Order: sequence, then C-alpha cells, then structure tokens
Amino acid sequence: MAVSPVTVGVNVLLLGALYAIVAIGFTLIFGVGGILNLAHGAFLTVGGYTAYYLVNAGIPVWVTVPVAGIVTAIGGVALYKGILKKVADNPVSVLILSLVAGLIVEQVFLVLEGAQPLVVPGIVEGGIGILGDNVELNRLVVFVVSWLVIGALFYFVNETKTGQAILATSMSRKGAAIVGIDADNVFTLTWIVAAGLAGVAGVFLATFQTVTPLMGRTPLLLSFSIVVLGGLGSIRGSVIGAYLISFLDQITVQYVSPRLAGISGLVVLVAVLLVRPEGLFGRELTEG
Amino acid sequence: MGAETSEAPASDEEFEERTLAEIMDPREFGWPTRLGLVGLATLAVLPVLRGYGFLGIVVNSQLLTNITGAMFFAVFAMSWDMQSGYTGEISFGHGLFFGVGGYASAILQTQLGMDLLVTIPLGMVAAAVAGLLIGFPSLRLQGPYFSLITLVTPIILIGLFTFAPDITGGATGLFTEPLTSGAVEGYVIALVLFLGSLGLFLAITRSDAGIVLTAIREDELAVEAAGLNPAKFKLFSFVLSGLVGGLAGALFVHTYAGGFVAPSDLLALVISIEVIIASILGGIGTITGAAIGGLFLFLFRAYIAQVDLTVPVVGVPINEIYFLLFTVATLVVLFFVPEGVVTRILMRARRRADTEDDDEGPDVAADGGWTEGEPTTLERIVAKFVRELRELTGDRGDDL
Repeated sequence: MAVSPVTVGVNVLLLGALYAIVAIGFTLIFGVGGILNLAHGAFLTVGGYTAYYLVNAGIPVWVTVPVAGIVTAIGGVALYKGILKKVADNPVSVLILSLVAGLIVEQVFLVLEGAQPLVVPGIVEGGIGILGDNVELNRLVVFVVSWLVIGALFYFVNETKTGQAILATSMSRKGAAIVGIDADNVFTLTWIVAAGLAGVAGVFLATFQTVTPLMGRTPLLLSFSIVVLGGLGSIRGSVIGAYLISFLDQITVQYVSPRLAGISGLVVLVAVLLVRPEGLFGRELTEG
Repeated sequence: MGAETSEAPASDEEFEERTLAEIMDPREFGWPTRLGLVGLATLAVLPVLRGYGFLGIVVNSQLLTNITGAMFFAVFAMSWDMQSGYTGEISFGHGLFFGVGGYASAILQTQLGMDLLVTIPLGMVAAAVAGLLIGFPSLRLQGPYFSLITLVTPIILIGLFTFAPDITGGATGLFTEPLTSGAVEGYVIALVLFLGSLGLFLAITRSDAGIVLTAIREDELAVEAAGLNPAKFKLFSFVLSGLVGGLAGALFVHTYAGGFVAPSDLLALVISIEVIIASILGGIGTITGAAIGGLFLFLFRAYIAQVDLTVPVVGVPINEIYFLLFTVATLVVLFFVPEGVVTRILMRARRRADTEDDDEGPDVAADGGWTEGEPTTLERIVAKFVRELRELTGDRGDDL
C-alpha cells in the first residue's frame, strides 16, 4: 500500500503541469471571451479517444499527440463558431449549452465504446531509477513536454504580437478594436489554443491513466478550483494554482483515500470562493 | 449590446384590483388555465380509472408508476424554478436538495431505526438546513460564483458518501424501507405533493414576495433602494426551494424508488441538469412551465426507454441514447424557443385574448407573463448575469 514519497512527488509535478495546461486554456477562454466553457473537460475526452483510435490503427503514440491537438482544436472552433458564439452575450445559455455539449460528447463515446476503461500505451516504455524508486519514463517525458508547452505559451502570450493582441482584447475589447485588433480572430485563436492544449493533455493523461467517456470531468472540476484559486483569467495564477491543487489532490488520494480524488480541490474551491472570491493572485490579464 | 438595453419594461398602468371571488370565478379563466385545471383533474381521477383504456392508452400500474415518477420530477423542476427562475441566481446543483432529503431520511431509518413518518420530515428539514448553510454564504457572491458553488457541492457530497460506504451505501446506493407497496398509494402521495407544491409555489410567486423576487432578478439595486434586503429574499427562496426539494427527495426514495436511494437517482449532475432542462423547455420563471416541462420530460424518457427502436445508421437502440436525444433537443429549444414552450403558448393565448377583450388588466410579471417586444424572462436573467459577470471580470469598458 505504502506509496513512496518519490512517486507522490513525481505525480504532483506531473499532474500539476497537466492540470496547468488544461486550466490555462480554460482561463484563456474565460479571460478573453468571457465564456465559462463547461465543455472544456470534453476536449480531454476527445483527445484521449483520438489517441486510442489512432494507436489501434497502428500509429505510434507520439504522433497521436499533435494529431489529437489538431482534432480537438477543430472541435473547439466548431463548438465556438457553431454554437457558443451565437449566444456569447448570454452567459446562462453559454453555461447550459457548453455543459450540454460536453455531456453530448460523453454520451457519444459512451454509446460508441461503452464505459469500460481503454488503454493507450506510454509514449516511451521502460522506467528509470530515482532515489531507489522506479519511475516510468513515460511520466518524465510527459512532464518535460508539458513544461515545454507551458513555457511556449508564456512566450507566445507575453512576447509575440499575436499574444499581445490576446492580452489586449482581454483587457479592453474597445481599446483593442481601436488599435486595429480583430476581436473575432482573437477569440477564434484562443479557442484553437485552449482546445488544442486540452486535447494534448487528454492524450498525456491517457498514456498513464485510462480513456473513459468521463475522463474529462475531474480535470474540468479541478480547473474550476485552479482558476478560482489563481484568479479568473490569470495564466501565472493558473500554473501556481494547478500545483497547489495537484499537491493537495495527490496527498489526499495517496494518504487519505483514493475515493476522494478531485474532492479536496472542490473543497478548496468553495472555501476560496467564500473567503476571497477574487482569487489568491488576482487578475493578471486586466492589470494595466 | 442587446443585453444592456433589456431593462425591465416600465408599466405605468395601474394594476386593476380584483377581489378573490373574481379571481376564482371559473368563467373568467382563460383557456390555458381551464386546460391546466382539466389536466390536474385528470391526474386526480386517474387511479380510479384503473383498467380502462383511452385513445390507446391503458391505465395500468405501469402508467401510474410512470406518472408518479413524473410528478416527483415536476416537483424537483418547480423547486428549481422557484429559486433560480425567480431570483435569477442560477443553481446548477439542485440535486443536492433532493439527495440530502432522500439520504437523510434513508440513513436515519437504517442507522437509527426511526419511523418513516419521522424520518421523511427530518429529511425535509435537513435539506432546508443544507440550503441555509450553502445559501447564506454563497448568495452574497455574484451569480456565476453562486452557480459554481452549487455545481460542485453535490459532487463533494457524492465524494464524501463513497468515503463512508457502510453508512451511505457509497456509489451503488442504500436500501431502506418503502413507505407504500402499491402503485396507487405511491401515486396518491406524489399527487398530493405535486398539487401542494404547485399551490404553494403559485401562491408565493403571485404574492408580494414573488414580486420582490422578480424585482431582484430585474434590478437588485432598485430593491435595495426600496429598503428591502435582497439577500434575505434570495435566501428565503433558496431555503424554501430546499425544503420542498428535500421533501420530494425523501418521498421519492420511499415510494417511487421502492425504498432505495442512489446518487444517480437524486444527487448526480445529470439530475440537476435535467431539472434545468425541464424548466427551460417549459418556460423559466413561471412554475407552471416547470411543472409541465418536468412531467413531459420524465414521461417522454420513460416512453423512450420502452421503445424497441434502433437508430438506422449506427445500429444503437434508441433507449440507450435518450439522454443524448434530450441534450440535443435542449440545444435546439434554447436556440429557437428561448422563452420556453409553455410561455410561448401562453403568450399566444394572451395576445388573442387581448385583441378580443380590451378590458383585461395588465399581467403581473411574476407569472412569467410575456408579450411580444418585451424581453423574455430568460433574457432578463441573462441581463442580470451579464451585469454581474462584468463586475466580476472587472469593467472592461466595452459595450461593443
């Protein structure tokens, strides 16, 4: 039973990075477009199943990562342009429609593949000894790639012209329009980035857990906690929040009960909302 | 931007006072009210007609059982509408109330061996207390945060339940005593609950309190300016909604569910969403719309579960994908009939009545009365939500 601290530490680092990727996408869509996308978890599910189907068709796992990203990015844009954009000034409809869209994805895979967990092999096989513990090489690869993605995202948002346009739009739509930024393009771009990232995270998650229709639910719920903890719309806060939540979640799962997976994060969410609704780190995207 | 301009319509006309006798005079009823009363009367006499058949529908135990479940579900939907539809604070986790009511009663019975006639009222009280505990801190928060909290609390509760499976039955559920054995007894209990809840909610929403609740949805600041405390009224509707939802949950467990309580029946996210779907289909902020939507949704689901039909291309039985069908249907209705089906029918009826008879007084907003050109109830809730979301995300100073 006793899980070594090294394994727990690796899990915290790894899941923290994965949750950060999911939460950054979630918070980008909210911070820039003002849309609370409850279908975000479904992107992970789509990513996971895409990888599963491709691997079964004989394609190497590492190839499925970008493919799943592209597939979910297309799905995300379809969801945004086809449904959510038309009701974007109507947050109640956005909430309900995005939730319903997420449920539809779950139901479709439930009907197609059933509820049983499916396995996607690791990107690399084998393990490596760290402090006398055997750690799967796959986890290390996922961890490194996740951080590369986060780093690239930071660079993209803070240093490139397009990234600056995203920031500008999140601060003031009118101001962005005055300097010639097409808000519509920016929204579409954030959906591509956010959905694609979630799809990639879905594949990563699938390589060391399993693919199920409901696999996106826990990451979605944890994303709420992370985003509220870090402040809605804050990328840096999302990364910090993701690590706090993954630390808490892993501690609870490993040392209290595995049945409480995801619950501790939600308790934190409720507590933070009640005590400090603006989040621990405030809003990054609106700070001048 | 459309949502900003959709302020509450100012009605300068004096509201025509009518005495109770005039209101209750059946000759003054419009056809929707008459139709509704006929429907209620049909529900009331249905058990007596057992064994007879009408229009190809035979009144048997199966039908009675289905309608029993449907009436419970309609009460769930009404309790959601009473809170979310009227105050505009959208709850995404009303299943919490049904679950707390049902589980509290079941656990008290199995663990302490208490009588069901004691545990069911206690379940109701437990749900109201849950409403107080959650509502008191969270209703101070702005709309979207309230929605998030209500969304996650039932999930936390399910998680805690699986943590103590010997008491709560965990994810599979818990067996307890049934209150009734026959289909007719369960039907009568559900009917009494349904009629009682309908009457109670209609009375409250059509009273001064209902007008205040509606006013909170329209403009919370104006309510404060009038010297009323919106938080108090919001909490009142939330706790009342929990009280009725909890009672319905407890009775559901001991009658329709046959003494079995499971997270998937009451607490699951799907239930909370189905309740919202039912209210939206019927028409939000009307009570009657939620009742009709709830009845319809449950019966349709029960019907589809029996149909032996396979979707042509995929080769999947239709009863396996009923929830998929429902979610798609909701998508379509939200797009094309955003004010709800019942509200639209009522609106049509009113317009016809208005052209025939000009003496009729203006409608009270609390019944979700809607005439063309006015923003719909859903739009008003949306306008409130947008305002709060703006405050929450920081004023971006953009009106588009």
